[in-house]
Amino acid sequence: MKKESLTIAILLAVIVSTSTIKAQMYEQPILISSAGQSADVKLVKMLAQRQQLEANTVLMAKASDLEGIKTLLIVPGFSSKGLGAAGVSQQEEYDRVEALIKVAKDLKIPIITVHIGGNVRRKGQSDAFNTLIADNSKGMIVVRQADEDGFFSDLAKKNNIPLTLVDKIVEVGEPMGNLFK
Amino acid sequence: MLKNHLSTIIITAIFTYAAIIASIQFRQMHKPEKLYPSESLTRVGMLSDYFDGIKGTEGDTEVYIYDSGLPGGTAFIGGGVHPNEAAGYLAPVVIMENIKVIKGRVIIIPRLNNSAFTCSDPMEGFPTHYEIKTPGGSRKFRLGSRVTNPLHQWPDPLVFAQYPSGQQLSGFETRNINRTYPGRPNGNLSERVAYAIVELIKKENVNIAFDIHESSPEVPIVNVIVYHEDDEDLAMNAILGLEFAGLQFSPELSPKNFHGLSHREWGDYTDAIPFLMETSNPSMGRLRGKTNVELVLKGKSENYKKAKEFGALRIAYRDAEGEPMEHRVGRHITGFIELINAYNMNYPDKTIEVADLPAYEELMENGVGKYLHN
Repeated sequence: MKKESLTIAILLAVIVSTSTIKAQMYEQPILISSAGQSADVKLVKMLAQRQQLEANTVLMAKASDLEGIKTLLIVPGFSSKGLGAAGVSQQEEYDRVEALIKVAKDLKIPIITVHIGGNVRRKGQSDAFNTLIADNSKGMIVVRQADEDGFFSDLAKKNNIPLTLVDKIVEVGEPMGNLFK
Repeated sequence: MLKNHLSTIIITAIFTYAAIIASIQFRQMHKPEKLYPSESLTRVGMLSDYFDGIKGTEGDTEVYIYDSGLPGGTAFIGGGVHPNEAAGYLAPVVIMENIKVIKGRVIIIPRLNNSAFTCSDPMEGFPTHYEIKTPGGSRKFRLGSRVTNPLHQWPDPLVFAQYPSGQQLSGFETRNINRTYPGRPNGNLSERVAYAIVELIKKENVNIAFDIHESSPEVPIVNVIVYHEDDEDLAMNAILGLEFAGLQFSPELSPKNFHGLSHREWGDYTDAIPFLMETSNPSMGRLRGKTNVELVLKGKSENYKKAKEFGALRIAYRDAEGEPMEHRVGRHITGFIELINAYNMNYPDKTIEVADLPAYEELMENGVGKYLHN
């Protein structure tokens, strides 16, 4: 009898924890921003539009851009051309993102990582941004190529957050849309 | 008297003969290979038609014009601005030898830096030519240099001050046409060629322009489409279209403060929407090892395989397949088609319709040779 009760209790605990993840509803409006200034953020913006999400995209988002925002969606990935276009150094970009995350957390705005750049936005200068965002996220959507070495899977395990892996960029839209349904 | 000098005369004659043969062979390197434009071709002009300041120089080059005769937009494809990037030349050649233009016009310059086709990059050990088997026999293509031949433009300054921005670059970049846009009429040869290209884009009212390149597997700007901020949605729609076709391209925004490049200056100085595409060519990389024709064509390198295992690469280098020519040419042609499709969606009143270009899968299955004519 004791054993059965224990099993039921464990099962209930599992169901509760699973439903917590499934029922994790994120609210709109969304702020989409970049960490590393890769143009991947523009593709995510387009995918969000196709999902008819209420989202504003600000590449160099600051604390003031978080006003009224319910979810912060960050697209990490280093781009030398992007940083050049924005006129900032890698360190300045890192500091900006770090400050944005801090304010978002203070305001209890959940952060979601959307990584679509594959290998091009991995390692080198990109992984500092990838780690910074993943360590502060409530969930991640990642195009599988970037996780060939288990980098994002390990971060998801370490931070105990859900990770959705998709094969193609075009497949990112659906799980991203589902977060807000 | 004659008898006394006979041996001297014979030796001199032999050396003279050898020198003549060698010089003929050397001069042949400067002769562009014959190309076979498709039946859609309506006119061949010269770049100097747009700016006579390059007439009679090694910078002058053929301009192939395909006019459907029906109103529509005009696309410009520039290849071979860096002739060491083999697919950057061959992809426009495959396009010009197969394209059917149904609506609007397509203008192609396969050898944007004609001078750079006449030399190789020193100390790089590059082969001078590569051959591709076609149904009608083998065709030989020149592999050139990244920059204008120093015999045609010399000397390099210690520091190159880009015109008109004043941006400072290494001295040899003064011979890199893709650092000299928009060019100037009274500049050095590379600047004058760049000026002529910009004049062509303006005078022909080009709507969408392509600059075709290749880069090393280990650099961040690889397998990308670089776009100008004027038409961001067009680039994104095309990249998503390419994803549906199974080809991943990363978008890269042209930095406003990095001057002299086509994706920046063509957009700033003309009405065209510019795109620069890069494929991954292991024969250009620092890790490549032995540099030969096989590496140029098959793009397969043990060194890159190891580099991938060490996690040093940021591209999806494929151990089994490598980065073969048909893959690289296929990516460029599919990129061109998808960008044209995206352009047509955004500008329905100035559409450009093209057909008969080989699909990526066809190139992978049949090789590039099937689409080169004799």
